[in-house]
Amino acid sequence: MHRIFHWILRHPKIVLLLLLVTTAAAVSQMRHIHIETDVDAMLPKHSDAYINKKVLDERFGSSDVVIIGIINEKEGIYTPENLALVQELTDWLGEQDLFQTLSLNDLLSLSTIKDIRGTEDGLDVTPFMDGLPETIEEAKKIQTRMHAFGIYENVIASADGKGTIIAVRPMPDSRDQYAKIYDLLQSKVKELELSHSNDSFFISGRPIIEGVFGVYMPQEMKRMQPIIMALLVLLLYISFRTPRGVFLPLAAVLIAEIWTLGTMAALGFNIYTITTMLPILIMAIGIADAVHFLSRERLLAHYGKYNHRKERIIEVMHELWKPMLMTSVTTGVGFLSMLSSELPPIQEFGIFAAVGITYALIVTMLLFPAALMLLPEEAAHTARKPLFSGYIEWSSQAILNYPKRIMLMFALLTTISVIGIMRLGVDASLVAQFKPNDPVRHADTVLNEHFSGTTSLDIMIDTGKENGLLEPVFLQHIVDLQKEIEKDPVVGDTSSISEFLMLMNQALHADNPAYNRVPESSNLAAQYLLLYSFSGAPDDFETFMTGDYRQAHIRINMKTDSTHAVAMMLKNLKSKTDVWFPSSAGYQVEWAGTGFTLHRLAQMIIAGQITSLALSILAIFLLCWWMFKRLLIAFIAMIPVSLAVTVNYGTMGNVGIPLDLATALTGAMALGIGVDFAIHYLHRYHEESIADHTYEESVINTNRSVGHAILFNTIVVVGGFLVLLSAALYPQMKLGALIAATMTVCYVATVYLFPVLLGLGKKNIKV
Amino acid sequence: MIKQILLIWAVLSWVQPAYSEDMTGLDVMRLVVSRDDGNDLIQHMKQRLIDKRGNVRERLMMSFSKDYGEDSKSITYFLQPANVRDTAMLTWDYADDNRDDDQWLYLPALKKVRRISSSDRGDYFMGTDFTFEDIKSTPTLGDYQWTLAGSENIDGADVWVVDAEPKSKALKKNLGYSKVRYYVRKDIHMYIKVDFWDIKGKELKHLVSTDIKQVQGIWTAMQGVMSNVQTHHRTELTFSEQQYNTNLSNRMFSERMLKRGYRGQ
Repeated sequence: MHRIFHWILRHPKIVLLLLLVTTAAAVSQMRHIHIETDVDAMLPKHSDAYINKKVLDERFGSSDVVIIGIINEKEGIYTPENLALVQELTDWLGEQDLFQTLSLNDLLSLSTIKDIRGTEDGLDVTPFMDGLPETIEEAKKIQTRMHAFGIYENVIASADGKGTIIAVRPMPDSRDQYAKIYDLLQSKVKELELSHSNDSFFISGRPIIEGVFGVYMPQEMKRMQPIIMALLVLLLYISFRTPRGVFLPLAAVLIAEIWTLGTMAALGFNIYTITTMLPILIMAIGIADAVHFLSRERLLAHYGKYNHRKERIIEVMHELWKPMLMTSVTTGVGFLSMLSSELPPIQEFGIFAAVGITYALIVTMLLFPAALMLLPEEAAHTARKPLFSGYIEWSSQAILNYPKRIMLMFALLTTISVIGIMRLGVDASLVAQFKPNDPVRHADTVLNEHFSGTTSLDIMIDTGKENGLLEPVFLQHIVDLQKEIEKDPVVGDTSSISEFLMLMNQALHADNPAYNRVPESSNLAAQYLLLYSFSGAPDDFETFMTGDYRQAHIRINMKTDSTHAVAMMLKNLKSKTDVWFPSSAGYQVEWAGTGFTLHRLAQMIIAGQITSLALSILAIFLLCWWMFKRLLIAFIAMIPVSLAVTVNYGTMGNVGIPLDLATALTGAMALGIGVDFAIHYLHRYHEESIADHTYEESVINTNRSVGHAILFNTIVVVGGFLVLLSAALYPQMKLGALIAATMTVCYVATVYLFPVLLGLGKKNIKV
Repeated sequence: MIKQILLIWAVLSWVQPAYSEDMTGLDVMRLVVSRDDGNDLIQHMKQRLIDKRGNVRERLMMSFSKDYGEDSKSITYFLQPANVRDTAMLTWDYADDNRDDDQWLYLPALKKVRRISSSDRGDYFMGTDFTFEDIKSTPTLGDYQWTLAGSENIDGADVWVVDAEPKSKALKKNLGYSKVRYYVRKDIHMYIKVDFWDIKGKELKHLVSTDIKQVQGIWTAMQGVMSNVQTHHRTELTFSEQQYNTNLSNRMFSERMLKRGYRGQ
């Protein structure tokens, strides 16, 4: 180590050049950064939800559709003008290159859906809107027919006749165009709003939600970066009051941040919603190393112990590299525990947080010595009473005077938190990540109120044999299953091939409602479908069954993407599907769709959460044991962080914040950052103890030195994360608030609870 | 000398296109329409529908058809798959544009004949990649603007390349095409390849006829493959055992025969 430090100081210019070149290289890589908003991509590739979604898309066409709702509260949608508007918008959508409009199910609207009707001598398949209606009576006839037909009620047009939706599929593999689609639709809607003042337009659907996420994320990163930097500048200025005291730490964390993003880009890792918080995290944690280095160097310069600048800097490096490495390792271990999660976003967040912290350490150890060698010596500062000194002295007295009250307070906090943890829920809802007044969330809410629901949930049933789905028993069980599912209030609608075959059966029996049942034989069903293929398009049913009549698809529209609802439904239906579609008879039932993906995501968040926390607690405990060589001290070191983590989850439970991708990170993060406080504190206390100071003296001295540093560190981390409160998306806000609160608890526990605990026992605990 | 060669070359190169310029796109298509394709025909048909994953659905049919002046009638019996066996379709095809074609289908499981509602010309036919317009033996010449785009050689056969654009926006929407390009063999006046563009002007599908033979002196394509480049769906039609001009009786094309089913020749 010594030789490396000397080399750095002998070649400061080379070191700086090296830093510059690597940073430039990292910047050049950053343009390759890819933002991933696909929820399915957040699942591991082996997850059934991920696999089933791919199968669903390929076999039955994607269920990810853009939804445009038109609502006219005053006149309703069934007027010649409004139906003309639907036609106009539908035709326009059909002409746009961003959409796939090959078949009926690619573009569903009042002007494309087809009516199946029995005539005296045959079957009639015609669009509901065969040409534009000219009178209000003609328009109302369409409403009557839509109601009688039933299948599209609330799916395409609301039962009250006030609104209708147009559902259109984006081109396959056009994920990077989703934001563009939203922009395009918004400008089209603005144009239509001018001429249709009574109509309200709402745009939603998963591509839109994901597209908007994709726009918000980089925007937020760009917006928050300067705010956090300004905050750092302010805090650094208060602490150091010199340009180098402000700009060197700032440069160090910025370089570490750029290196991290550059590494991610170069290795081809994606940016997810939660990874957008990495830069803030690296800044907040990395700044600690920089501040430690600079303060120590200053202190030594102040005492004038070393005549040569080089000797002094060497001494600083010698003193600090071990504790810095130790705290970086413990923090890093906290983050790396996220690897035990199965979810790529959480894993990658953990890896790159650890990488970023390592970079911060390396940059600090290179940049500071090199820069300080080149910069002119600062004039020695006159001793200035550090900020918050009054508070520090007060806190020392409080600790020594009221140990029991402090204990009681923490006991109370723990109890409340434990109660909260029991109430902790999990929800991976996508829509809930938007603020309630966000246009996207508002549109989604309105569409869910008026129509069958914007969240897809899909069941795919493989009958195991060609023509298997034409069997009357199977078709009837599909109907039974749909009835069962529709009992759930969060389900707006279900649809399947059975519904259409029942309608055809009725239509071919002179529209006699008594025949509104599944065809009585497999051959009859096959012949109906053949007959239909002469009148309708062949791909009208492609979304409900495969061409070999082997695989069936039941589409469920849900009014919420709350994962709790899906979990309940899956549990309830399992017993039914096991009986109706037994695997012993060759059936295979698979779930898919956004609802299912989010459900699996929620499950994996919980599973990963428990293992990751357990792992990081164990790892950090072992590290502390190894560092302090005493089991008891390792236990005590774990107390503030364990408490902070408990309070974190307890608060979530008590306030009603569910675990999701973002909030799931808080536990391991709090643990990793918070343990640094404990290590610093215990180190100092140990030094004081071996200097034969009394318990009281040790507490006061430790508080004066480490208490200060920890306070500064807390302010930076808390301040940095509070900036997230200004975010446009909930996950970032929640994470910001939670980390800020948790770090505060961690600080309070370290400074107040530690000394009280160390004062316990007959002879006080020696560290 | 060189001047003379140049002159000959100029004359030759002038004469060659002069022949084509005399022919218009419409002239070429008239040749196609007036090509002898027999008065009646019995043939086996095999339909193979192949989706983008390579799954194949196969149907076997027996078809009888007969010309009635400009009109025509046909009856088709389904032989396979088993669940539609004995299903039969009767079609009366009218040349008059104002009269919808008549189509009936007999469903053996229902034991009833059902009328099929008339379809748009651009509607797809029986789950194949052919629209009702495509399965007609020749396009309605008056609906398109025909342009002779040039000549080419495809697999050793000289062809005229004829571009067709539906005359109105409404027609384009109805047919589902913004442009169609026919490759017509100069020797036998049969088109052996057709390219289609959708309403957005994007490449949509290709029809390629192969295995062209003379049967009873009538040029017949034994196979036609329509490939949709957007859906990656493909339809292969294979024809065999053609018998032209067997003087099919008018009774063949009746509802009674529809119900009776195919009893073999």
